[in-house]
This record gives sequence, structure tokens and C-alpha cells, in this order.
Amino acid sequence: MASTASTKRLSLSAWLKTITFYEILVGMKATLSHLLNYRPVTLQYPHEKRTLPDNYRGMLALLRYDDGTEKCVGCDLCEAACPSRVIRVVSAEVPGEPTKRYSKEYYMDMTRCLFCGMCVDACPVDALGMTREFEWAVYDKRQLHLNKQQLLAIGDRSFPVQEKRLELQHPNVAFFNVAFKHVPPKPD
Amino acid sequence: MTTPTAQMVRIMIDGMTVNVPKGTLVIEAARRVGVMIPHFCYHPKLKPDANCRMCLVEIEKVPKLQTACSTPVDEGMNVRTATTVVNDAHKSVLEFILANHPLDCPVCDQGGKCDLQDFSHQYTATSRFTETKRVFQKEYFSPLIETQMNRCVQCLRCVRYCDEVMDVKALAPVGRGTMTEIKHFGFHPLDCEFCGGCVQICPVGAITSRLSMYEYRPWMLKRAETICGYCGDGCQMTVQTKGQELIEVNSAHGAGRNNGDLCARGFFGFHAASHPQRLTHPLIRRHGALVQVTWEEALEYVADRVNEIKAAHGGPSFGGLISGRCTNEELYLFQKFLRMAIGTNHIDSSARYGHVNGLQAMQLVQGTHRWTVTFEDILDADVLILVGTNITETNPITGLKVKEAVKKRQATLITIESLEPVVDTMSNIANLSHHHFRIPTSDTHHAIVGLVKAVLEQNLTQPDLAQRHPTYVNAMTSALQQISWQDLQAATGIEPDAFVRAAKVAAGARRVVIMAGQLLLRSEQGYSGCLTLLDLLLLTGKLDAPGCGFAPLAEENNDQGAIEMGTVTELLPGAQPITNDTERERIAKQWKGELPTDKGASLIEMLERARVGSLKAMFIVGENPVGSLPAVIHAEASLRNLDLLVCQELFLTETAALAHVVLPAASSLEKHGTFTNTEGHVQAVRPAIEPVGDSRPDWEIFSALSILLNSPMEYAESKEILKEIRSLIPGYSSLGPTPLPPKVDHSAVDRYLTDGYQRDLASRYHPISRASRPDGTVRLELAQSLFHSGKLSTRSKGLLQVEGSGRLRISPSDAARFALSDGDRVRLSSTSGEMTTEVKIMERVPQGTAWFPSHFGQAAVQLFECAIDPITHVPSFRTATVSMMKVA
Ligand code: SF4
Ligand code: SF4
Ligand code: SF4
Ligand code: SF4
Ligand code: SF4
Ligand code: FES
Repeated sequence: MASTASTKRLSLSAWLKTITFYEILVGMKATLSHLLNYRPVTLQYPHEKRTLPDNYRGMLALLRYDDGTEKCVGCDLCEAACPSRVIRVVSAEVPGEPTKRYSKEYYMDMTRCLFCGMCVDACPVDALGMTREFEWAVYDKRQLHLNKQQLLAIGDRSFPVQEKRLELQHPNVAFFNVAFKHVPPKPD
Repeated sequence: MTTPTAQMVRIMIDGMTVNVPKGTLVIEAARRVGVMIPHFCYHPKLKPDANCRMCLVEIEKVPKLQTACSTPVDEGMNVRTATTVVNDAHKSVLEFILANHPLDCPVCDQGGKCDLQDFSHQYTATSRFTETKRVFQKEYFSPLIETQMNRCVQCLRCVRYCDEVMDVKALAPVGRGTMTEIKHFGFHPLDCEFCGGCVQICPVGAITSRLSMYEYRPWMLKRAETICGYCGDGCQMTVQTKGQELIEVNSAHGAGRNNGDLCARGFFGFHAASHPQRLTHPLIRRHGALVQVTWEEALEYVADRVNEIKAAHGGPSFGGLISGRCTNEELYLFQKFLRMAIGTNHIDSSARYGHVNGLQAMQLVQGTHRWTVTFEDILDADVLILVGTNITETNPITGLKVKEAVKKRQATLITIESLEPVVDTMSNIANLSHHHFRIPTSDTHHAIVGLVKAVLEQNLTQPDLAQRHPTYVNAMTSALQQISWQDLQAATGIEPDAFVRAAKVAAGARRVVIMAGQLLLRSEQGYSGCLTLLDLLLLTGKLDAPGCGFAPLAEENNDQGAIEMGTVTELLPGAQPITNDTERERIAKQWKGELPTDKGASLIEMLERARVGSLKAMFIVGENPVGSLPAVIHAEASLRNLDLLVCQELFLTETAALAHVVLPAASSLEKHGTFTNTEGHVQAVRPAIEPVGDSRPDWEIFSALSILLNSPMEYAESKEILKEIRSLIPGYSSLGPTPLPPKVDHSAVDRYLTDGYQRDLASRYHPISRASRPDGTVRLELAQSLFHSGKLSTRSKGLLQVEGSGRLRISPSDAARFALSDGDRVRLSSTSGEMTTEVKIMERVPQGTAWFPSHFGQAAVQLFECAIDPITHVPSFRTATVSMMKVA
């Protein structure tokens, strides 16, 4: 074969290419040219941040009405809707406001959340929102176990414009989770 | 009930043919072929009301749509439930309902199990009405039951249930048209039996339980079908839990012996098990104080002490007392443990407080240890005789059977009760009674004697009885001749005529059931009263007639089981007398050992022996003699005298506080086992939660101790004990959840008629000497309250909200006499002691009588003397004459 002949006696040009690593230089051509002419291609996070799309599904938050009251009525529906069991709601009667319901405790285990948004969809009073926050890397996973106060705080900083609170939320829905103010409190 | 002769008709439902008895409602016939016709106001327990119009169906040849819930089937009917016309009708009914419905499903406790929600989904109904919805003024309703009338669909199921089934009539519709709302009577919060029936039966979230308010969604809950641990009715209930948390109890329609009905104790009383004061660790007394130790330490300590005491004084220096609230398996193992591992016959259970009276009477006369009737026989009875039952408060569900028999099936009711027939906040069985004998509990026996006397004098006896057993009939006749009608009238205040009328009704009826309640069973005449009632059945020839029988009602949920497991000193497992040598041998052989030969001592005798020092050690399981026995028994001094007192308890009771070792036991919501209800149904108990803390089921404790004591009784689970029980007690294996009641044993009856009756004939039928009650005194009775059962229920937050403390119930006329009004304080004093308490005026209390609820009776028991029945050894301490004085 011809190759056996060529191994026997390398031509000068082949020899030169070998000792100068010519092939590697060819392969590195693009790299080397960029080395001399540096221009970033990827987004330079954390120095640069992408504009998030409008429907971005970031960190979850609990919201308030404009008068500062929590929207959540403790209906447990987000808990039921969540496919990965992130949410735990402990609902109760609002102290001093008989028959009015709220979430006494509210927990989200964000280590499990898959940001599907089902909980937001399920909420009948729009008490849950998906913020545009995503920088939630932590050293200790337990910090991702959020309670109601933390979730409300996220809501407060992410949604400065709050929905107006109406006692009667819809003229046709005579009342919805409105306390009966004149009811004497239940005896303990 | 459909009689077996009911004519069958053949109808078509949606093209399917079904054969049903004539008179069945279309909605029920449809259910049989699996067609669910949507409905709100229909409920199988209630009379059809047809007010909601949700169940409209098309019936061929009938021009308009018909309500399936009120139309009875007829031969050849062709029903269509899913045509366009029908669907449109359903849709528009829903639209009308939704026109006013708030749709606050997210905050409604019914969400997820709501009929309206389901139908709305099914028909995708939305309402076209945009007018403003009605809003009712919300008022405070009650501590346990909450209403949200905006959600009411006005089906009136709650109102009808409360009236038809409960006979309480606490609820009523108020207002007209769409503005109809359900209210209770009066200006105070709802005050009723709190059976929870309205909560269960409301198809929407208009009436809900305040105890579990907002705590759950139906899909979060784990369910356990178990048996109520409060009274002998043995209701099946579904305990719903979220993790270790007890959330709610309910009972499905058709479930168990209670058919889905519950009383306040079952429905609202479940929190006792999760009370924060539950014992969670074994305790040992060291230097006078109880300190927490490990199980190993505690059990080894007990075993060492037992060995020492046994070596020094022998087996019979031990005694055991167990509560009739333990499971059959535990009761059985307890007596086996004491008889085999310890070697003593000193065993007793709380059945001694009264149930033994009824049992011994039954064994003597009819040779059975169970009822010969069932709840079905009560429903089918022609005549029901209630003696000292106060059935509404003591055995509420048996009470419902009586109410159904009387209200729906026209049974005649004869009551001998210390109850005034008045309408007040609770149902009152005296109101339904046709022949009511209002008699103080202490004189109940006279009234029974009056009935027997009337039977004999009016020649209402079974004709051939006098021929077969002339001596019996003659002896009875002559014994009763000594008692004159004048004396009887003086003692009972009842005209002779009334006795005669009632006796005629009873003797003339085909199916007669006599029920004896706690007031009789736990009284001094408990045993003799039961015998006399059995005499009444015998004389009228009803003892062995089908559908007739004697039914003593158990107060504790497993009193009957305690008897059958041989957990009283005079009985072996299978309720065989301890003197029966063949049984002894057979059982000893099965147990591979020797049964102790000593004659056992009953509860009071044990305490007496402990006091004089011949009894050295006691095991007390779930019982509290210090708290429940009157001071004259000196239970505390006796127990303090013991060298070793081991208590297995849920709470640190007065008795447990004296113990050397306290072992934490699991409640009936935390273990497997079986309970035998008052009619003899053995029913499965299943755990709803894990044992609280380190507590263990009682049987595991006995088992562990037996191993340490070198006579191992090892079982992997409670089922194995049940297996052993079944192999040991002949006939027990066939007793599933629906056993046939035993038959009257004719040889026993013959023995009784020949000479058995003679033993206490004279003491039962003797001329009445009447002691008059001095002025300024009342007859004090320790009574059962509907809202409590035993002492456990006083740890249940729901029940405490309805009845939080013991208040003396007095009649309005006594209140006037002593110038008292609700909440005033009085001092009661008798020869034995005194106490101060608040009064509550209750119209049903007869004049001259005052009731104190036994569950809060620690202070009250001091007032009572204690009489011990010479034959059954039952201590009775529930009536006393006390003087009453108002204090500031
Ligand atoms: S976004 Fe999805 S996974 Fe996350 S909490 Fe909501 S429902 Fe659960
Ligand atoms: S009653 Fe039913 S439909 Fe009405 S608010 Fe409650 S869950 Fe919703
Ligand atoms: S409260 Fe419930 S059960 Fe009663 S009428 Fe209204 S919807 Fe029917
Ligand atoms: S809880 Fe009260 S109002 Fe409701 S059905 Fe029972 S007795 Fe009637
Ligand atoms: S206390 Fe008796 S009647 Fe009431 S639910 Fe329990 S078993 Fe039934
Ligand atoms: S269910 Fe038939 S009319 Fe209500």
C-alpha cells in the first residue's frame, strides 16, 4: 500500500506539519482567533440578567389585599392541586371573627416545587402568585422550607400593586368569607 | 319494614327490569339497579317530603314528571331517569337553588363531599339569575354545631331527622319561600341532644360541626371503622384522622347496629383519647412520688414484687379489677393472667356495678347470659316495657329503636321511670309512653310487683302454666296476696287500675320486650327487680315466645363482654359458673395448668380484705374505685394498705395516684380487638391512631408480665387471643357481627319453676313498709347524663362544652319550694356526708327527686350508703335521702 511507502520515507512537508502540530493549529484556529478578538457570547450572569418573559414562573408568594389583609382563606385547594406535595395549609377560624376562615399556618417546601403553577390556578381568591424571583440558591436546603410570613414577605416585595379588597367580592356572591361581625364569640 | 308477604312488582328503570316489593319508592328501586337519582330532601330514614324537586323522573303514561322519592312503584311502571326532559328539569332545579347559593365552597367544610357540588358538576349548572343573593343574619348557634344558613337548600332533612328519628324537635324552619331558614327555638343558643344527626344528614354545608371546623378536607382523612367506646349500645362509627390527629367521627347510614345514628358521646366525644394529660410513660413510686421509668424497669419491678408477694403469701393474696371498657381480648387475658400466672380467683370488673344483676337473673330463670332478643325484635315489638332505663340519656341508640317502634310501627310503650312527661330540650321517652308509671327509682320494684299482681289477679297468666307448675303459680299468688293494692298505691302513687290496664296490654300482645336500665340494675333491687320482670314474662307465657324477651341494658360498652370472658369472680370464660367442675377441667386442660381453687372475692370483698390486710396486691385496669365508690366503702384506705398496687390507666386517676406502678394504656381508638354490645354482638374495634406516647394496649402488658412471671401467654396480635377465645368457648365461633340470639333454655326454666324461684321469693314479694320522707329533703339519685359516660368523657373537650360540670338537676316545683333558680348553690347533706353544688332546673325531674350526674360524682358519692346484694354482690349506692339547703 501507499501508506507503507510513505511511512518509510516522510516527505518534507509532512515532516514539517508534524513537528509544528499543524493539524492542531488548524483545529484551534477558531479558538485562537477568538482569543485575540474576545467578545462574550453567553449572558454574563450574575453581572448581566436576562429580561424575563411576562409569564415567567418564579418563586411562589402569598399576596395581600391593598389594606394589608392576607388574601388566603385557607381553603386547602392549593395543597390538593399541587402534584409534588409542596404545600401544607393549616386552616382555622379567624380569632374573634366567627366562621371566617384563614390559614393559620402555611408552609411550602420549595425543594420539591416544580413551578408548574397549578397551585396558583387552583386558588379561588388569587392569593398565590408566581414572582419573578429565581435567585434562591442556598447552602442549607432547610432554608427552602418557607412559612407563611416568609411567603407573604416575598409577595410584598414582588407585587407592590395590590388588589383592592371588597367585602363583597362580587355583587352576585353575597358574601365570601366575610365574618359575621355581630356574632358573639364562641365560648372556650 | 317490608313484611315477607309483600307483593312483588316488576318495573323498568332506564330499560332495566327490577323486582321490588310493592310500595317501594321509585328512588329506592332505582338504587337497587345502580341508578342514582339526584336528590336532596330524600333520605331512607325519613318519611318522604318531596320538597326539593331534585328527583324528578319521567314515568310512562304519567303526563308530568314525578318525584321519585315519594312515588311508590306499581306493576309495570316504566321509569326514565336520564331523558332530556328529566335532565332539563334537574338543571333548572339546580339553577333555582344556585340562584341563592353563596358558592363559598372554598371555605365550606362540606366542600368535597357536598351533594350540591356533585350535582352542579354533573349538570354543569350555572345559574342565569343575577339578582343579589339572599343573606341571612348570622346568629350564634351552639358550641358544637354551626350553621351557615346562606348555604341551606331548604330540604328540611335536619328538621325531619330531629323530629322523626330523634324526637327532639329542636329545629324548625322559620320564614317563607327562599327566605326560609333553619332555626332552633328560644333566644338562647341551641340546646338539644347534640346527636350530630343534623350535621350528618345535611346534604350541603349549612349545618357543620364546630369541633372539626376548617380542620380538614375530606380527601385528607384516613378512616377507621370502629366501635364507640362509651355505652353498651355498641355503635359503629368511622373515626377520621389526619396523622395522629383525631378530626371527626361519623357513621354511615346503614352501618352497624346503630344504622348510622350516633349520640352526642359518640359524635362529639372522641377527643378524650388525645387529651394532653394522657399518661405516656410508665411510672414507679420512689420515695413516695411517682417517677417516670422505662417499660423494662417497670415490668421487671412488677414481676419481682409479684414473685416476692406470691412466695410470701400465695396467689390468693392478689386481686384484680378491670374496666368493662377494655376489649374482649383484654378481659379474657386479664382473667387468664390472674387465674394462671398469679393463681387467684379474686377477679372483678365493672360489670359488677349492675350488669351482673341482670345477667344472674337471666341465668337463673332462662339459662342464658345474653339477650334472647335483638334490636330488630325491639323494632318489631307490639309492647315494649321500659323499667328504670332513662333510655334517652343512658342508651340513646337503643332509645332510638324504641322511638322508631313506637312512632313508626305503632308499638305500645309501658314505662316505669322516674321521669316527668314534659317537652323540654331533650327527647323524653315518657312523652311517647302509653302507660307511664312515674315512680322514684327506689320504688321501681313496687311498680313491677304491681304489674305482676295485676297479671295474677286478672287471670292473665298463661293457661297451661298453672297446670304444669301449680306450686309456682300458687306460691306467687299467695305471696302477692300479702301485698295489698292500698299499700302499692301508697308506695307508688299509682291507681290499681293503671296496673291492670298495662298488664292487660302486655299480656294480650304477641311480641313483648322488657328492657331494664341502669337505674334498676344498679339499684338495691337490681337483682330482684330483674327476677320479678322475668316472672312477669313467665307468667304471661312470653319468656320463650318468639320476639319476646328480657333485655338488661349495659352501661359500659363491654360489660357484656366482661361477663362472657369470665372476668367476674363467679364466672369462667363462656359465662359458666366457677363451680361447674366439667367446665373447670376442660378450661384447665386447654390452658395447660390448674385453675385456682379458692372461692373468689368480688370487688367489695376484695377491698374489705385489702383493708384487713389479707389481700396484699391488686391489679387495677381502667377502673377507679376511689373515685366512684362511696366513702363508706373506704376504698382509698384499703388500697393504701396494699403492698403492691399496679394500675393500667389512660389518665392519672384518684386510684392511679395511689399506685406503686402506673402503666400507660392505649385507648380503644388505638388498638385492635372486639367489643360485645349489650345485645351480644361481637364487633371489631380498629385503631384510628397510633398509641399515644409509650402507651401500649392492655393485653400486651398482661402478656409481657406473664412472660416475666414464667407462665408465658404470648400472642403476636390480638386476633390470636380471639382465636383462643373462640376455641375455648363453645358456640363463640359462630358469633360474628350478626349472631342469632340464644334461645331460652327450657331445662333452666323448668328448674326455676320447680324450685329456683323459692330462694328469694319472700324477699322480693313482701308487704311494703313505707318510710315517709321528712320535709326539706329530696331523694338524691346518681344518674347518667346523656353527655357523659364513665369518667373518660369528662376529658373530652366537645362534651365538656355541653356539660362541663356536675349540676344538681331539680324539678321546678322543688326549685320553688326551696326558692332556687338556675345556677344557685345548695348544700346537700345526708347521714354520711355533705356536698355543695349548683342546681339546674329540669322539668323532667319529678318533684321530690334530684339527680346528680354520676360522671362528676366524686363529691356526691360521699352522700350515699352502700348496700351489697347478698346474692350478686352488687354494691348499690345510687339513691339516698338528703336534706337540701340553699347557700349563698
Ligand atoms: S407550582 Fe406546582 S409544584 Fe410548585 S407548589 Fe405550586 S402546584 Fe406545587
Ligand atoms: S354547601 Fe356545597 S355547594 Fe354550597 S358552598 Fe358548601 S360545598 Fe359549596
Ligand atoms: S340545613 Fe341542611 S338539612 Fe337542613 S334544610 Fe338546610 S340544607 Fe336541608
Ligand atoms: S344535634 Fe340536636 S338539633 Fe341536631 S338532630 Fe340532634 S338533637 Fe336535633
Ligand atoms: S355512647 Fe352509646 S349510643 Fe352513643 S354513640 Fe356510643 S355506643 Fe352509640
Ligand atoms: S328528593 Fe324527591 S323531592 Fe327532594
